[in-house]
Amino acid sequence: SASHSDRLETGNGECVLSYEPLDTQNIIKSVGDDAAGAIAVFIGTTRNSFQGKTVVHLEYQAYSSLAIKTMATILESANTLVGRSEHSVQGTVPALIKCKLHHRLGVVPVGEPSIVIAVSSPHRRESFQACEFILEEVKAKAQIWKREYYEGGNEDAQWKENI
Amino acid sequence: MSSPTRSITVLYFAAAFTAVGTDQETIALPGPVATSESESGIEGFPLCSLPDLLCARHPDAKLEKVLKGSRWSVNEEMVTEEEESTVRLKGGEVVAVICPVSGG
Repeated sequence: SASHSDRLETGNGECVLSYEPLDTQNIIKSVGDDAAGAIAVFIGTTRNSFQGKTVVHLEYQAYSSLAIKTMATILESANTLVGRSEHSVQGTVPALIKCKLHHRLGVVPVGEPSIVIAVSSPHRRESFQACEFILEEVKAKAQIWKREYYEGGNEDAQWKENI
Repeated sequence: MSSPTRSITVLYFAAAFTAVGTDQETIALPGPVATSESESGIEGFPLCSLPDLLCARHPDAKLEKVLKGSRWSVNEEMVTEEEESTVRLKGGEVVAVICPVSGG
């Protein structure tokens, strides 16, 4: 199937698509570094409602071979973006230390994580900035789709579109 | 003299997958294939003609509306809106329907 688990390393990080529950604590630990003064984390979880309807779970699929490339490009772009910040000095300390982007596929029950982004950096501004940038880029560009299932049956389940 | 059939693999995801009921299929491209190797003989099937071909294959599927709102990838590279009218398929490509995404 074109929707399968996948993994791709980048210069200072890693992108993962997985059908297993995301191990958030492990992902956060994996970006830790003695040179880091900050770790910024975003965890996206399945919410139990949409426009007054009760959501029972989300289901994700991906065009994995393309999505993983898109995710890696996003991590590289994040480095370029924050590399222009006032803290970065050409050729010495990198603005970001490690970036991890994990996205779950398959059924994600209410309350469970579907996406985890963890970024470490010497200074806080860069990891905050990179973390938010990575999230918004994934939502705009990654070839991943979610279907929202509501209480009362599967017939009304809706494929969502990020606008 | 028999001429080879060019075919492509089409991948369906999300709303397109629900509409046609399958995640992939092999599509034979219509049109003649030149037996010489000169570039001018093999024009390729225009990507912008693919929606009509797929809708004809799945007439009851409400696929037309989904495809109108979708983009395309060819061999794991996104096709930009500007490129859509110029991309031509020669056979062997993997073409995916990329509905509006909703990751994260």
